[in-house]
Amino acid sequence: MGRKPIHSRQTNRLLGAMLKDPLAWQHGYALMKQTGLQSGTLYPVLLRLCDQGLLEAQWRESDQPGKPPRHVYRLTQTGLAFAREQAAPARGKQGFLREAKA
Amino acid sequence: MRRGFRRRIANALMRHAARVMPAAEMDWSAAMRNELEAIEDDHVALRWSAGCLVAGYSERLNSLLQTWYARAALACLIALLACREFFAPLLIFVYRAHDLELAHFLGLRTAGDDYRRLIPVLEATPSWLPVLWIAAGLLFLVALWRMLRKSDASALPFFLAFGLDLVGAVTAKSIEASTKVVITPDLLVRAAGEVLMLSTGFLLWRMTRKATRRAN
Repeated sequence: MGRKPIHSRQTNRLLGAMLKDPLAWQHGYALMKQTGLQSGTLYPVLLRLCDQGLLEAQWRESDQPGKPPRHVYRLTQTGLAFAREQAAPARGKQGFLREAKA
Repeated sequence: MRRGFRRRIANALMRHAARVMPAAEMDWSAAMRNELEAIEDDHVALRWSAGCLVAGYSERLNSLLQTWYARAALACLIALLACREFFAPLLIFVYRAHDLELAHFLGLRTAGDDYRRLIPVLEATPSWLPVLWIAAGLLFLVALWRMLRKSDASALPFFLAFGLDLVGAVTAKSIEASTKVVITPDLLVRAAGEVLMLSTGFLLWRMTRKATRRAN
């Protein structure tokens, strides 16, 4: 049986940011701006969440011409369930139920 | 166009971050490097690279801590710390049991090479203090056992042992003051012991965090 993933405050902040638009692929810099986490904190968290199967990552061509491709991230189904579970106590049961119905 | 000073520093830091990142995670260092290219502001780019350098070293340390030799070294250190906790209770017990031959042998391993110098301390030590040291030593052994079994919770007994050791050290200090016998005269040796203990605890904590991450 797999062990419970570590969920630090930083991890929760990142999951919370990704939960706002769970289907969208987001790159590291955008996530840094959304969460306020520094890259030195953000990347180890991203790496760990990908390892745990909560995030998926892929390379995407950059929107800016001449720039190298960028790594983008999105919650997996497991990640989405986990992020919702983490967010539920903060929002309260009512909010969680509303979101589940939606 | 000539690139700004900050941008050049940022690029240099990023190159260094890519070098220190473990080979297995090269994809991630490429992700961080390519992200830097997308950041227009040089000041933000510099902060980004500095953070990536921290992430690189952090991952390198995590990777190093998963090697058998790092685990073995850490296991030896924890065992050494446990032995250190058992030493004083053993000397006190041996002295009080009047086994002076063994007390002499153990005394050779103390500062000054003679247990007789420590007799006032051995007599003034309250009986609960050796029990506390033994408890600390046992907790170090629990931490060692858990580490060898790759358990997540090995840092907790380690830091509990560290706490008990600190209580013991403070009490020993007051015994030193009342008996006017200095157990370890060299301040550097004392400080090195505490630094060694804290560093070992930090590495153990990092190692077990990584174990949790890789287990999933």
